[in-house]
Amino acid sequence: MSKGGINLKTFWPAIAIAVILFFLPPIIPRFYTYILAVIFVTSLLAMSLNLCVGHGGIFQFHHAVFYGVGAYTVALFLTKTSLPRGVGFIAGPIIAAIFGLLIGWFCIRLTKLYFGMLQISLGSLVWAIVFRWYGFTGGDDGIHGIPIPEFIDSTNSRYYFILIFFIISLFVLYLIFKSPFGTTLQAIRDNPERCEAIGINVKRHQLVAIVIATFFAGVAGVLFVVLEGSVFPDLLFWVLSLEVFIMCLLGGWFTFAGPVLGAAITVSLRTFVGVYTEYWTLILGVILILLIFFLPEGVMGFILDKINPEKKEIIEKDDE
Amino acid sequence: MLQVQDIHKTFGDFKAVNGANLSVGEGELVAVIGPNGAGKTTLFNLITGQLKPDQGKITFMNEDISQLPTHKICLKGLARSFQIANIFHRLSVFRNVQVSVLSQKGLSGKLFRPVQKVAVTETNNILESVGLIEKAQYIAGSLSHGDQRMLEIAIALGNEPKMLILDEPTAGMSPEETAATMALIQQLAETRGLTILFCEHDMDVVFNVSQSIMVMHHGSTIIQGKPEAVRVDSDVQEAYLGDDYA
Amino acid sequence: METSQGITLAALAIHFLVGLSRAMILFIVCSGLSFVLGVLRVPNVAHGSLYMIGAFSAFSIFTLLGGGAVAFWAALILAPFVVAIVSLIAERSLFKHLYQREHLMLLLFTFALMLILGDLVKIIWGAQYRSIMAPEFLRGSFPLFGASLPRYNVFLLIVGPLVAIGLWLFTNKTKIGKIARAAAVDMEMVGALGINVSWVFAFAFVLGCFLAGMGGALVAPTISITIGMDHDLIIEAFLIVVIGGLGNMWGAMVGSLIFGLTQSFGVLFLPQFAIVFPYTAVVIVLLIRPKGLLKSVW
Repeated sequence: MSKGGINLKTFWPAIAIAVILFFLPPIIPRFYTYILAVIFVTSLLAMSLNLCVGHGGIFQFHHAVFYGVGAYTVALFLTKTSLPRGVGFIAGPIIAAIFGLLIGWFCIRLTKLYFGMLQISLGSLVWAIVFRWYGFTGGDDGIHGIPIPEFIDSTNSRYYFILIFFIISLFVLYLIFKSPFGTTLQAIRDNPERCEAIGINVKRHQLVAIVIATFFAGVAGVLFVVLEGSVFPDLLFWVLSLEVFIMCLLGGWFTFAGPVLGAAITVSLRTFVGVYTEYWTLILGVILILLIFFLPEGVMGFILDKINPEKKEIIEKDDE
Repeated sequence: MLQVQDIHKTFGDFKAVNGANLSVGEGELVAVIGPNGAGKTTLFNLITGQLKPDQGKITFMNEDISQLPTHKICLKGLARSFQIANIFHRLSVFRNVQVSVLSQKGLSGKLFRPVQKVAVTETNNILESVGLIEKAQYIAGSLSHGDQRMLEIAIALGNEPKMLILDEPTAGMSPEETAATMALIQQLAETRGLTILFCEHDMDVVFNVSQSIMVMHHGSTIIQGKPEAVRVDSDVQEAYLGDDYA
Repeated sequence: METSQGITLAALAIHFLVGLSRAMILFIVCSGLSFVLGVLRVPNVAHGSLYMIGAFSAFSIFTLLGGGAVAFWAALILAPFVVAIVSLIAERSLFKHLYQREHLMLLLFTFALMLILGDLVKIIWGAQYRSIMAPEFLRGSFPLFGASLPRYNVFLLIVGPLVAIGLWLFTNKTKIGKIARAAAVDMEMVGALGINVSWVFAFAFVLGCFLAGMGGALVAPTISITIGMDHDLIIEAFLIVVIGGLGNMWGAMVGSLIFGLTQSFGVLFLPQFAIVFPYTAVVIVLLIRPKGLLKSVW
């Protein structure tokens, strides 16, 4: 029962959740609406990272930079230029992807840990400039009171705006995940040498993955500005990069939707545990250690393993 | 079809390949033999571009391939399998082969086409021909050792190679499995019109199936010729006896 | 002194020496990081936290002993041992169980350790600024070309090379040092010789952390000790180790000099963007030599 190449069956749970999310804002307190929006933005960031890390085997250690670049781009467009606001919204992801291409192009010559280290240094350079350039980026103060278009100036309208773009992005990422490109990327993760031997240009493939991932990190950055109305250098700080890394691990690297789960768990814990204790990072650290020892495949990986212990993949035998 | 002329490869002080020559004609089944450490795997790595030769020339279908990168050599129709099962552990058997077929068809980069609709028939054909069709849905890492070796060959077939290089295709197999695997390889060679170059430890297998045998020792070619000629060559006997019994 | 028309020779010399002394602290911390990287093949993200604990421990010992010259020396000597004990506990209780696992897991473990240690420091020492004072004869400054050079920086300029020599002697002349060095090159060989690999790892990890603690204790009199000093340091330390060549002790020295001096001259020439200079230097080095200046042990 597939139409247009998309199997509807696998989409029913997702559609059901999306419908529920659409009807939530009128019935839940405004604070929860806000937290859900935070989860969407963070999830998208984690999903984009996971395209590199979980599916591509690329040590993308400093992903937050591209998130920050997307956010700062739209912030600067909205505060410093009089161009139509839509331009800034479109420019955010594109500039982020250009940064992804440039930094990726330098890093891709190296592998694994060296790749990650070079990316951290290039990313930290971007961070340092943003952190210090008071005249342009506002330095460590950031930029506040960014004029958000009127049609998204209430909590609920922002929620819907973010939700819609979140769903579109997830859908596109899913198509990519299930495309020949995505499948080849996963093969590269499992065995890059063998991929070379069957005629795949591994480096170019990984670079394309980085550009796609950084584009969606940029989308997440734009959505962050829509939600918060401000930007600050911490968005590009390496600690955030590692936190997002943990979300991917927590949810399950090798699954598609894992990072969403990881982000949801992390954000909710931070929000609700943060009420009781200021030592939130201590708890995050303990959770991480528990994960490493007991759930290395993440929560989603663990669940899938229980559902499907035979380790079969569902493949339609379509005669087309 | 494949000509290797006097190639050399040195790692530090160690001459891994030191003047190897090889000639493989179209449709032939050629074996490379030699004691452990004779440089067989290095030779294969040089041919398929994983390593670059220090000197010498490798031509495939009248084209110099000695300086080409691995993925380009592969797209010219020269595929290989590896000594250790070199597969994609987290993907299903079907996807393992499909990745290779996609690469051959130049479809690896397609972003917005559902993968379950692409190259399905070709992939299933290959799985059928190596007897893995029943296990298509299993995750490759969960297969038995023998099945993983067959999958390894199936991945190489995905490239529609004109020539296939197999590095010890039966390593770690029982005698029955070895016989079955070699029969399958011979059958593949016939039905697909493949030229096959392989290396192997089991001498019975080598002398039974191959049309030509090249013997390596200390990185150099001692002789290449028909099985009967190689069997009686005195240098070969010395190489083997010298190494194994000295 | 720092006018727009020109920069005096004295200013140049002072900034050079200050940069050099800062490089000495960086070297001590980074040689530890590099040592762990070389042997365990893990970038220890918690290294900065251990450096921070070193500084805070120095503060506590200093105050506990009354704050005199004796207290200062005791703090300088004992603080690294406190850090070594903390790291030994973490290694033997948790870290050692991960040696057989995927590499990324080791990296993530050190990140978890960083998160936990960061908050523990907050719990134990609080969020205030702390400071300790060097003894009389290390305070004040020497006159130099009409400017002045703090005495403590001179002290650092002496201590840095001493630590380098000590570390070199230790890894080249003692048995355990040689084993650790061999382990960095070929782990399997060491295992084959019948040496307990797990203890070699433990030793390397603890020694690396000891050096982090020593760096923290040495830097303590020159800064305000506060939470967050780990974050500032760790990325710098990583970059230094990468540009020097992973696991190479002299590489850590070269990297520290590059980092310390570019930062110091950055302050002189373009104060607002001083922080950008060392990062730019790192990028340039990596573009020319992607695997670092000196030979990596990998």
